[in-house]
Amino acid sequence: MTYLSISSPVKRMRPALIAGLALIIAGAMSISGLNLFNARFGFEFLPLLILVIWPRRANTIVSLSFVWLAGLFTDWATGDITGQWALIFVLVWGFLRPELRSDPFTPVKIIPAWLIACVAAALILSLTGYFIFGIFPDLAPLGRQAIIATLFLPIVLLLRRSIVVRLKDFDDWG
Amino acid sequence: MRGREGPNGGITRFALLGTIVISCLLISFQRNSELQPSAFEVTAQETVSPLANILAIPLRRFEDFFSGFKDRRQAVEDNKKLREEVSMLRERQARYDNLAFKVARYEAILGVDTETDIPLKKIAARAIGEMDGPFLRSLLLNVGERDGVTMGNPVMSTDGLIGHVINLGPNTARVLRVSDLNSRIAVTSAETGATAILAGDNTDLPKLSFINQRENWGLGDRVFTSGDDGFLPRGLEVGRVVQGKSGGLRVRLSSDSNPVDWVWVSPYKRLADPDQPAIDIEPEAAGLP
Repeated sequence: MTYLSISSPVKRMRPALIAGLALIIAGAMSISGLNLFNARFGFEFLPLLILVIWPRRANTIVSLSFVWLAGLFTDWATGDITGQWALIFVLVWGFLRPELRSDPFTPVKIIPAWLIACVAAALILSLTGYFIFGIFPDLAPLGRQAIIATLFLPIVLLLRRSIVVRLKDFDDWG
Repeated sequence: MRGREGPNGGITRFALLGTIVISCLLISFQRNSELQPSAFEVTAQETVSPLANILAIPLRRFEDFFSGFKDRRQAVEDNKKLREEVSMLRERQARYDNLAFKVARYEAILGVDTETDIPLKKIAARAIGEMDGPFLRSLLLNVGERDGVTMGNPVMSTDGLIGHVINLGPNTARVLRVSDLNSRIAVTSAETGATAILAGDNTDLPKLSFINQRENWGLGDRVFTSGDDGFLPRGLEVGRVVQGKSGGLRVRLSSDSNPVDWVWVSPYKRLADPDQPAIDIEPEAAGLP
């Protein structure tokens, strides 16, 4: 789209739909986890990976709708406080605002964004949980969830890279 | 690097703010209210169960791969321990048979029935999802209403009580674990018969509260469900009493000794509320105007 020589990137529907579906699947995977070394490593933080690599050219309103609805779906699927994950997803997406980035995240630049997303999620979970139940949370499960999701980060990046190189609209997925 | 905001930036900001406000309102509505499972939750858990079923297979294999090393390393030691246990249990079995015979005779003489009310029928299920978050400890099972599961049914593993069903779909059931913040069950000491309420607090060691006869509770006592609450049958194994860090009595759950995979649901029918008195008392006879 061009108006008086100021160009704005075209927001496409397809990346928004695919990223949205990936987020819902990641939300569904939240109920799983691994029992290793006498500890439970839950997958609750996996959807944050999708939010961090959200395509810049995705339609903004459709993206936001998917992000919020996927959050609600995750709340219902996990039996958590309704609105808790929806709030986390929306705030993380709102903080990262992928459509405002001129360049895609490089593997190095993605690390601070990922850490911020994890800390924000832990903080919101703790505060909303305290608001409802009146007790501070056990932070160990949150830490383990962040660790297991971090281990998945390179895999997700590689997966996205391998999908992107097969597609013609390369720039839409960065 | 951030670029210029698009022409619909205002709408985005408005929509973002709207979703944040709605989410906060949804959260605030749940404060001080009893957490009731909604139809949305049932639909969502039914939707995710096929994916969870598929995911469970590679995840369990991955876990088995790691636990296999540990198991093999401990095999010789475990074998030695098991042999000692078998010889000890043989002796106990003989004593148990003798006692069971005696009790049956006394029951026949006194005309009482002390049988536990745990149903013999069991519904085998697989834990396809496990939530172990900071405020939530629950399981998702691949059995539901169609398999004969009902709300409140106790869920056991080979080690002991895991929890009870709190949310039920046609093919799935959500189980509230004994260690969850919202779990309260009536328990009794196997050694003395003293009763208490086992209250989950999202730690691995739920606490014993509302203790009746404190002097009759000791460290190492075996804890069973008492059935006093009418929700769970009497006699389900829960764990053993341990000392908490703050000095109170807590329970080390038997079901926590191994990862939860296969479980069984006991189709126990809750005790019905007592019926209204059959005899109508005349107001005058009751001394009422």
